[in-house]
Amino acid sequence: MRELKTIIEAYKQATAEGIKTVLATVVHVDGSSYRRPSARMLVDEHGITTGAISGGCLEGDALRKALHALVQNRNVLISYDTSDEADAVVGAQLGCEGIIQVLFEPMNAKDPMNPIQLLEQIIDSQNPYVMVTLFKLKDKRGEQSGCTLLLKDGAKTLGSIDDSSLQEAILKDAVTVFEEKRSLFRAYEEDQTTHNAFIEYFAPAVSLVIVGAGNDTQGLALMAETLGWNIYVVDGRPSHASESRFTSSCQIIVAKPEEALQNIPINEHTVFVLMTHNYHYDLSILNRILPYDQVPYIGILGPKKKFQRMVDELKEKGIEISQEQLDRIYAPIGLEIGAETPEEIAISVLSEINAVLNGTKGTFLRDKQGHIHTKENTQFDTLKI
Amino acid sequence: MIQRAYLDNNATTPTDPRVVEVMLPYFSDKFGNASSRNHAYGWEAKEAVDHAREQVAELIGAHPNEIVFTSGATESNNLALKGLLNEGNHFITCATEHKAILDPAESLAAKGIDVEILPVQSDGLLAINAFKKVISDHTRLVSIMMANNETGCIQPIKELSTITHSNQALFHTDATQAVGKVPVDVNELGIDLMSFSSHKMYGPKGIGALYIRKETKIRSLIEGGGHERGIRSGTLNVPAIVGFGKACELCKQEMEEEAKKIKMLRDKLEESLLSIKGTQLNGGIENRLPNVTNIAFTGVDGERLLLSLNGLAVSQGSACTSAVVEPSHVLKAMGIPDQLANSSLRFSLGRFTTKEEIDFAIQKVTAAVHKLRK
Repeated sequence: MRELKTIIEAYKQATAEGIKTVLATVVHVDGSSYRRPSARMLVDEHGITTGAISGGCLEGDALRKALHALVQNRNVLISYDTSDEADAVVGAQLGCEGIIQVLFEPMNAKDPMNPIQLLEQIIDSQNPYVMVTLFKLKDKRGEQSGCTLLLKDGAKTLGSIDDSSLQEAILKDAVTVFEEKRSLFRAYEEDQTTHNAFIEYFAPAVSLVIVGAGNDTQGLALMAETLGWNIYVVDGRPSHASESRFTSSCQIIVAKPEEALQNIPINEHTVFVLMTHNYHYDLSILNRILPYDQVPYIGILGPKKKFQRMVDELKEKGIEISQEQLDRIYAPIGLEIGAETPEEIAISVLSEINAVLNGTKGTFLRDKQGHIHTKENTQFDTLKI
Repeated sequence: MIQRAYLDNNATTPTDPRVVEVMLPYFSDKFGNASSRNHAYGWEAKEAVDHAREQVAELIGAHPNEIVFTSGATESNNLALKGLLNEGNHFITCATEHKAILDPAESLAAKGIDVEILPVQSDGLLAINAFKKVISDHTRLVSIMMANNETGCIQPIKELSTITHSNQALFHTDATQAVGKVPVDVNELGIDLMSFSSHKMYGPKGIGALYIRKETKIRSLIEGGGHERGIRSGTLNVPAIVGFGKACELCKQEMEEEAKKIKMLRDKLEESLLSIKGTQLNGGIENRLPNVTNIAFTGVDGERLLLSLNGLAVSQGSACTSAVVEPSHVLKAMGIPDQLANSSLRFSLGRFTTKEEIDFAIQKVTAAVHKLRK
């Protein structure tokens, strides 16, 4: 998300100055690669790049391909086979073994389907979106449609495909994408042509509610910002919760616990960390967020004893924390990385949240059997239309 | 009535007009050097080369990165043999190979490579048992041509490559006459290296390729600039490469239908010529290309016959040795006596061969043979 924001900023600035740009998007990966589908890079006519589509091995060639696409003013699809060690283009690389498809789209500010303008709309929103990018793997030199449809909340909001049976099939698949909350690759087979679609799911940005505005949460907010998350900082002390102490993108809320959550949209992308160092404030907030079943993560700073005391006190008030609720509470907060300083703790906390949101364990990758990335769902399932 | 006919397509083919058309812009507007990495002229040329490489690879079931462009099959053969063999290595080939294999083999033998040239049977096929006897785990490379240029005889490549691989050796084939005429899939046939050429398949002259299976290490013969992954330096001949690519694409699309049509015409020609008394077919009737027939006309001197066929282009022996007056080494190797070999002509048909040309050829040859025998 953060990378997208910088790409959007770079695009806006270039466009304002009358500089032409090309967007490079990884639309499919077969095998392993450093960056997955959805990775994007912006190249302007002066060859200045923003974002990345690989760990560095492809950028040199991709820059040239992008500039060539700009000269030709057409969408271009390029395959990179990183499994070929002798390949002069890929050259020295990570030993990844994958075939990466990159789509280069010259940007046109007047085009309503300009993908960067659509991406801006997506990341400014709190709703899930689906973007459909069309290309033809079997006809790489043919016309590549690129970004063609935008859907919000399961319904089409922008764009259309002349081929109505293709559009119908894609819209049907998009429903599944919204349901399963993950991107889908599809090959739609017609008489003569096969249309490949990257039906890309955009989850709304994570909202991190940091309860506590002490010195230790300043670093946490700063690091969370680099992830592109929405950040709320909540505290009762105006001296601590002040705009001057926190990074500019944070929303600062100074309030008593009972009023603190009023202006925060709480949904399945909202996570909480309780770090006020004030037992009663934390407890009061916990009490208020427990009923929100959709909140996937509540982290509480402090030793186990503190949390046990919270559980006991709530019980005395007649509030029993269910097992389902306990499953979403992480106390003590953080992954065990030996964190001591506020910055180390921030890394530990953000890593834990990332792991929870992605349904992973947060352990050493070297101990993992098989591939780094989950391999499921990366193939183009073929559908005859 | 037509005045001339071209039945020498195994020597070379005309460039298909559709091939010429795609080549033209690369002489003028799109003249860039494919190695110019930092401007659009270069990118345009590189893109065209990449596309051609894909078209070439597609025809033979290879990956584009396994294709190295060369000046033609002769260079490809030299590269395959000299790029792989070192002093003391055992190398096996056969007597009916083109000079582009036999000559480098001879010079390699002089440099201390153990060269073994196997005989063939009367039908032109390699004797498998003889092959099995000489191959061992000391063998580094085996090179057996896929289809013979003079007789069209097609060797059992898959069987040969399997035996080769079971001895941990590499298998090369000179497939110049086969690619574009019959289906060739390098993986299905177990080929490690394969030479082929553009001008035998309706592409331009001066361009060819060596297929090198992924992870096969080969030494370059021409250094300077590191083109073609360092295997074949020298500025790429972009127009010719573009034409070669297009020629491959057309063969891929049209080969099946074309082969049927050509075979029908060839069979008609062959049947008519063999109905002349004192003629015989050189080589087996099975396992051969659909476009060639090699016929011996007893009691008639081949060269004399050629010269009396005013307007008909056919050849005696292989085109590349036609400067030397010697019976064809291919026919000789098949056990055909010198005199009969000298009385033999090769007729090779192609994409543009017409029924009229066949009728013309039948008439000319029949008349000439009768006249010369008087």
